[in-house]
Amino acid sequence: MDQKIAIKVDDLTVAYNYKPVLWDIDLEIPEGVLMAIVGPNGAGKSTLIKSILGILKPIAGSVSIYGKPYEKQRQLVAYVPQKGSVDWDFPTTALDVVMMGTYGSLGWIKRPGQKQKKAALEALEKVGMLPFKNRQISQLSGGQQQRIFLARALVQNASIYFMDEPFQGVDATTEIAIINILKELRKAGKTVIVVHHDLQTVPEYFDWVTFLNVKKIATGPVKDIFNDDNLTKTYGINYKVSIQE
Amino acid sequence: MLLQAYIINNKVMSNAQIEIQIIASIAAIACAIPGTFLVLRKMAMISDAISHSILPGIVIGFFITQDLNSPLLILLAAVTGIITVILVEYIQKTGLVKEDTAIGLVFPALFSMGVIMIAKNANDVHLDVDAVLLGELAFAPFDRLVVSNIDLGPKSLWVIGSILILSIGLLFAFFKELKVSTFDTGLAASLGFSPAILHYGLMSISSVTTVGAFDAVGAILVVALMIAPAATAYLLTNNLKRMLLYAVGFGVFSAISGYWVAHWLDASIAGSITTMLGIIFLLVYLFAPNKGIIAVLYREKQQRTEVSLLTFLLHLKNHTEERERNVNHLNEHINWQKVRSKTVLDLAFKNNMIVIKNKIVSLTDKGDAFTTKAIDYIITNKDTQIEYMKDDFFLFRG
Repeated sequence: MDQKIAIKVDDLTVAYNYKPVLWDIDLEIPEGVLMAIVGPNGAGKSTLIKSILGILKPIAGSVSIYGKPYEKQRQLVAYVPQKGSVDWDFPTTALDVVMMGTYGSLGWIKRPGQKQKKAALEALEKVGMLPFKNRQISQLSGGQQQRIFLARALVQNASIYFMDEPFQGVDATTEIAIINILKELRKAGKTVIVVHHDLQTVPEYFDWVTFLNVKKIATGPVKDIFNDDNLTKTYGINYKVSIQE
Repeated sequence: MLLQAYIINNKVMSNAQIEIQIIASIAAIACAIPGTFLVLRKMAMISDAISHSILPGIVIGFFITQDLNSPLLILLAAVTGIITVILVEYIQKTGLVKEDTAIGLVFPALFSMGVIMIAKNANDVHLDVDAVLLGELAFAPFDRLVVSNIDLGPKSLWVIGSILILSIGLLFAFFKELKVSTFDTGLAASLGFSPAILHYGLMSISSVTTVGAFDAVGAILVVALMIAPAATAYLLTNNLKRMLLYAVGFGVFSAISGYWVAHWLDASIAGSITTMLGIIFLLVYLFAPNKGIIAVLYREKQQRTEVSLLTFLLHLKNHTEERERNVNHLNEHINWQKVRSKTVLDLAFKNNMIVIKNKIVSLTDKGDAFTTKAIDYIITNKDTQIEYMKDDFFLFRG
């Protein structure tokens, strides 16, 4: 396998108030995988993503995106935070939220124009939210809000997508719609990293998986490492999953 | 002689009146801009903290310059404002106390330092606590900016005017950055718009504005000018730009109407402006079309009646036997009070969904179609669709 490495994490340690939440993480994520990060609550899954994106400052270690630090590669990366991390009563519309995805390519001061609006409308179309473009965001359902967030990431036209629990609090239809879009992204050669909770769906949705519980337990193709042994090591109880063929 | 003096006096008075209103209006606009973002960031209390804790900055600046409108004084006060924010965040970060407690600890400490400094030097300093708390808008026109014998107007107008221009300039330049970092800090950080820079930028401009508006309304009431117009605007719109415009509008309206209320009552201008802000908020809180209390209660009542109507129609559809559909029987059967039964019956009747013959209620074709469709939606778990369907069927709403 001579796959390119999209993301490389070296000896990453992150602490809140001197209490480490991630210990000495080494991770290589090859280009073009659809990867789940799984682990119990408090395992540091979101923290790992946030540290890769430079939102949190690690106390040790380094991260590189295609061989360079994140600050130089922002344009290659799109991020979908947890839906609950923002105030949905904010006075703005679905279209406007998606437009925010274009701000990164604009840089400081420059304002979005027709080109950015067109890209945002296309992204809304892709997630099936075009009819809701002028809807105030508080008047959208949880699933619709998540689609808006996905559209905002799509509009960035990135190479790597990070998503923090995109399936939390969404209906089954939206979950399928989202995973189909993620699979399309992978088909187009993009790398997609998803913090995921539902272990049952890991083999069905993803081709790569990282087990995390403060330390990295294992990382690799789902078919090789998604087994009871690693699940037990990660979740600390005797875990039995039956992986359907 | 006397007449001439009277005319001059009168003219000075009316000029001063206009100047006071302009100063108050500009202060209101300057406060509404950062205020809108503070409200959206749930940081309203921070403006209260800043407005009090800049006092030692003002006092020290005044000791040095002997001029309440000196740029150095404004700068020092703004620095104290930033120190307040940093101290609050530092205490909060230790995790030992929550944010509101941290705010409650920091600003009284700094404010009291200012109070002591004033008291210790009260004899040779023209600065008193009342003026700091309530402002001296009425006297603002007397302190004038005179350059080589040309009167350029009140100094405080120049001060707050410059701050407003700075504020508007920054708003235009960084509107998109402020919006994204206010809505979604994580996204802003990942896109390379440092939330820390934007946060401290906003805090700086809030501090500077607070100092500038000090003259007009004082430390306590400047908070009202920052928060009340933005909170009022928030109830009226779902668009950030419009929220800013409405906040500016409410601020200016309160400033001018407040001035005239004070004139009429011969009362404090700052107090009257704040009272107007409160009255406008109350009116909007009650009567705003979507988020207002009355609109919310009305919607709830409408929904209650319409759910009752649907229950009633389902009952009719489920029972073909006449005794189940007798008007008198319905009251006890569905277990509703007379008034409610009558409301529901009237609504069904007005919308041509039922006919009543010999006290026996039956569904019309339209009523039957509506009920059938509603049942479909209910059993397929698409209850939300019923709301849209109502637009097609209802001539009158509940």
